[in-house]
Order: sequence, then C-alpha cells, then structure tokens
Amino acid sequence: MNPVLDYLRERRTTIAAYALCAVLFAIATIHSSGFASASNIRQLLVFASFIGFAALGQTLVILAGGLDLSVPWLMAFGGLQLSNWTTHGMGGVLGIVLVVAAGAAIGLANGYGVAWLRVPPIVMTLAVGGLVQAYLMSIGQLNSSGNQAPRIAESIATDRLGPIPVVALVWLGFAVAAGVLLSRTALGRRIYATGASDTVATLSGVNVKRVRLVTYMLSGAAATFGGVVLSGYVGSTYIDIGAPYLFASIAAVIVGGASILGGRGTYWGTVAGALTLTVLSAMLPLFHLDTADLEIVYGIVILVGVALSRLGANALQMSRRGGGEEKPADPEVVDVA
Amino acid sequence: MTSTTVDTAAARPAVPSLRRLLANSGISLTAVTTATILIVLAVTDFILQPALLDVTELGYLAQTALPLVLVGAAQTLVVLVRGIDLSVGGIMVLANTTTAVWVGEQGGNHQLLVFAILGLAACAGLLNGLLVAVGGFEPFVATLGTWTIFNGLALKVLPTDGGAPPPSLINFVFGKTAGIPNSFLVLAGVFVVWRILRASKLGTRIYAVGADEERARLNGTSVVGVKLFVYALAGLCAGIAGVLLAGVASSGTPTAGDPYILTSVAAVVIGGTSLAGGKGGIGLTMMAAGALVFISDIVTEVNLETWVSVAASSGLLLAVVIVRSLIDRVAERRSA
Repeated sequence: MNPVLDYLRERRTTIAAYALCAVLFAIATIHSSGFASASNIRQLLVFASFIGFAALGQTLVILAGGLDLSVPWLMAFGGLQLSNWTTHGMGGVLGIVLVVAAGAAIGLANGYGVAWLRVPPIVMTLAVGGLVQAYLMSIGQLNSSGNQAPRIAESIATDRLGPIPVVALVWLGFAVAAGVLLSRTALGRRIYATGASDTVATLSGVNVKRVRLVTYMLSGAAATFGGVVLSGYVGSTYIDIGAPYLFASIAAVIVGGASILGGRGTYWGTVAGALTLTVLSAMLPLFHLDTADLEIVYGIVILVGVALSRLGANALQMSRRGGGEEKPADPEVVDVA
Repeated sequence: MTSTTVDTAAARPAVPSLRRLLANSGISLTAVTTATILIVLAVTDFILQPALLDVTELGYLAQTALPLVLVGAAQTLVVLVRGIDLSVGGIMVLANTTTAVWVGEQGGNHQLLVFAILGLAACAGLLNGLLVAVGGFEPFVATLGTWTIFNGLALKVLPTDGGAPPPSLINFVFGKTAGIPNSFLVLAGVFVVWRILRASKLGTRIYAVGADEERARLNGTSVVGVKLFVYALAGLCAGIAGVLLAGVASSGTPTAGDPYILTSVAAVVIGGTSLAGGKGGIGLTMMAAGALVFISDIVTEVNLETWVSVAASSGLLLAVVIVRSLIDRVAERRSA
C-alpha cells in the first residue's frame, strides 16, 4: 500500500473539511475580491478562534464519548469573573491564570459527575452549566455599572504580531498542542480508546474515569479562556456572551468530521469546522442572505456534512473488503495502556 | 465486602415490601418520588401565597406551565425510544411565528389554519424521524441540524417579536369552560391522550423499541414505523406548545424556543424517564415541569432575584440525578 495514500485516507474527513472551507472561501472571493483582503482574513481568523477555543475542549470531550453543554456558561464565566476580579484589583496575567484554573475546576465537577457518579453527560453538564449561570447572575447584580472587559483580555484579542492577530497565533499554538496530545501521547490514545469502547478500553488497562475527568477539565479551561478573549474582543462582557457557542462548538466538531459517539475525529478537523462556520457566516451577506438564511444553511451543512462523511466511511469499508484487507477491529485499542 | 453484604441483607425486607406494595397498586417508586417533589413545592407555594388556592389563579399558573409541559411531552416521547430531540425548540418557534403571522392576518377560518400549522409541525417531526430511523443519523446530530433549520425558517416568518395571534386563541388560553380554566383542560387532555396511547398496542411497542430495539424487531415490531410515529408526535406536541405560547404571550417570538430545549431535557430527567430509553413516561415529565414552574413562582413570590430560581432548578436536577445514581449503585452492589 502506498503510504502517502494511506495517510490521506486516514485523514480524509479532516481533508474534506478543509476542502469545504477552501471551496466556500473561493466562491466568496470570486464573488467579491475584497473577501480575500488581509484585513478580512484577519477578521475571519479572530472570529474563528473564538469557536476554536470553545470547540477545543468540546472536541476532546466528544472524542472520549461525552458532551459538554456547559461551554457557553463557562465562556461567560471567563469574561465576567475576570472583570469582577479586575475591579477588585486582581487582574492581569495572574487573574487569567486563576480564572482558567477555576474553569478547569468547574470542568472537574462535570467530569466527576459523569465518570464517577455515572450521570449522563448531557444532564451533568446541563446542571453544572445552570449553576454557573445562576452564580454569574448573582455576581452580575453587584457591578451593574457595566462590565468593562479587562485591559489584558482586550490586548490578547486585538493586538497583532506583525500582520497576524495574536489571538490567531494563540489558537495555532493550542491547535498544535491538541494535535500532539491526541496523536503522539498516551493520553491521546487513551481518549480515543475510551470514546471507541468503554469496555475494551477498561480491559486494556485504561482508567476511563480519569481520562474522562481530564477531558472535561481541559474543556472547562479552554472554554473559560475563550470567554476571556471573547470579552476582550467585544470590549465588554455580559451573561449571554457565550450563548452562540453551544451550537457553534458542537457544530464545528461535527463539520470537522468527528463522530458524535466518540472515538473518531481530530482537533485539526474541528479547526477546519470552525473556519468553515466562520467563512459561511461572513460570506452570506455578500449574497444578500440574512441571519435566518445563515441558520438554515448551518443546518444543511451539518446534515450534508455528516451524510457525506458516512458515505465516505462506507465506501472505504467497501473498498477494504474488496481488497481483502479487513483488519481486526481497532488494532490501536489493544496497546493503549 | 462481607460486612456490606450482611448490612444490606438486614435492610433488605423493608424496601422490597414497599416496592411490592407500590408495584401491586401499579405505581412506580419513581412516580412517588417525583410526585413528592411536586407536592412539597406546591404546598410551599400555597403556604407562601394562599391567594393561589383559587381556581382562576391556579389556571394562570397552569398557563405558564403549558409550553414546558408540551415540549417536555415531546422530549419524553423521543427519549423513550432512546433518542433526543434538540429541534423541539425550532418546531415550537416555527409554529409560534406562523400562528402569530399567518393566522393573525386571516379574517376567518382560524381553526383550519391552526390545524394546518400543527400538521406542519408534525411533518417537521416526521423529518427528524426519517433522518434518524431511515437515514441512520444520530438523533443528536440530526436534530441539531434541523433545530437550526427550523429556527431559521421561523426567523424568516417573523424576524422580531411581534405579529398578532388570533383573538380567539388568546381568549381560549385565558378562558374557562364550565368554570374550569382551559389551561387545566389542556393539561388533563395531554395526560389522558398519553394514558390512552400508553395502554394501546402502539404504546407497548414504543416501550419495546426503547428497551431493546433488536428484540422488538425480532418480535415483529416495525422499529422504523414506531420511530417515525414518535418523532412526528413529538413534532406535533412541540407545535401545540408553540401555538399555545403565542396565545399566552399574545404575540409571536422567534427566539422563544431555545431555552425550552434544555429545560425540556431537565424536566424529562427530573421526572425520572431514563435517557437510556424504554423507562418513564409523560406523566412523570408533567409533574417535573410543574415542579419547575412552582420553583420559579416561589422565587418570584419571596422576591428573590432570578438567579435563585436558576440555581434551584439546576440544583434540583443535579440532586435528583446524583441521588438516583447512588441508589442504582447500592442496588447494583446488593445484586452483585
């Protein structure tokens, strides 16, 4: 077998997601050349990065067979808590570190409930999200004079390093780290194993509870960080700031080719999903389509994307069978511990 | 290990006898727990505001519960066949906005148009069913896609809050029939229809498909048919919720649906319907929805801030699932 072909085949869903994004970008550019201008691309990268942060943890959680509905509230938590601490004199880098740590701790609660108490992920993260929402509503009353986003968040979100926005570089760093984590480390292999089959993973010595816990913690931390940056970009922060990102974070994962059931997908795919959603939302006004149309298009993209990736998977299986190369189920799972 | 066996063996007779007593009377332990939660909250609310013990006042309270009860019923149906429906919010606003715009614009023939809208809602649900049962999509993914599609369509019908639902609908929602508030009659209607469905052959099949799809298939049940029916009926329920909401709010709101999606899941879970399918029912969800409505009513009455209500609802959800999981664990250990 050709190793290059194998490499491409293994990553076909990720490649398809980038191809979709590139095609959309090309269409928009042909229609209006300003779409490919440096300033517009910068803008797209910044917007995509917010989805990217929200979807980073979501990807890890979904890969391990879970789901995190608390993401939008953790994003709101990031902005509001940091602005609250900043008014009390604890802002700056320390503030960000602490708020991200607090986000991780909330993720820990999610993970504990899912892994140890065996509460279904949808329910656990819904309840924890609700409690975070309640907490934010309660502190929101204290500084009703308006929640100015902290300076440091603003500078992360709006500064540039040469031609490239800092936030895009941070996102790139996160993506590389997540890519390495998933493909090169034992934890990454364990995440895939846990998502593919709880039982098989346990039998091959993976501590699935701990793996789940870690994914939810990382999700809490990433979403909180995303919220900090988002509030910096918007310039102020409010409780519903994260609301669009519940849908966007899950949609990016799905459009990026991951299976909602876990065990299959990559963060690079999610990156493509986040870029695709952002390009779509930016290009529709060019075609005189409004938010309502955008929602409809989003839905169609999700359904068609999933249908195509399943067709692709089936075709692959057929070709494998035809070539008589059927492998035993998931050889990767065996040596994860 | 041995000591726990002894302990549990000693405690054994009490619980099963209670269970047996309940089983003999046809009531599940889950139903008793959920009813207790509802009654405690209701009594608390009545003590705090005795004025509530009046049929008209209670009718208004039931009115605020109507949309959640119906969306919760929709969610319960889908959860019973091991699915989940995120699009209930979308179908709800689709029916809501069309009621406010299309029906509102018409002079006569309101009833016919409302029935057409409910038919549309059932078709929207059927589309979910087709994607899941025939297309083989994961329920979560399929309804995530259709949710945003329906939301978008609703926004096209009515971009911002407004429109004018027909006066007859508003009169119906706020009115009484033979001295009984219509909101009670709707609640009772939902419950009665549900009990009839549950007692029917189709009802048995819904539970069979939820409990074990493969076995249901082998027993000759059309799994695809049952799922199509369930998703379409869920669409219809979500549609009714949207129409009633237009009456309650006296206007159309294209963004009203989203909060109901997760709240309906919360009501299903608090009620005691299993997300793993095949266990539970709409009656349980109705009680849980009632409990959630009482919580927010109590918070308003005591003049607490809104966050208390959010915290209490989420706290109740969390407490219920954690206690259930602990009970399950004890039961598991006992049987092991």
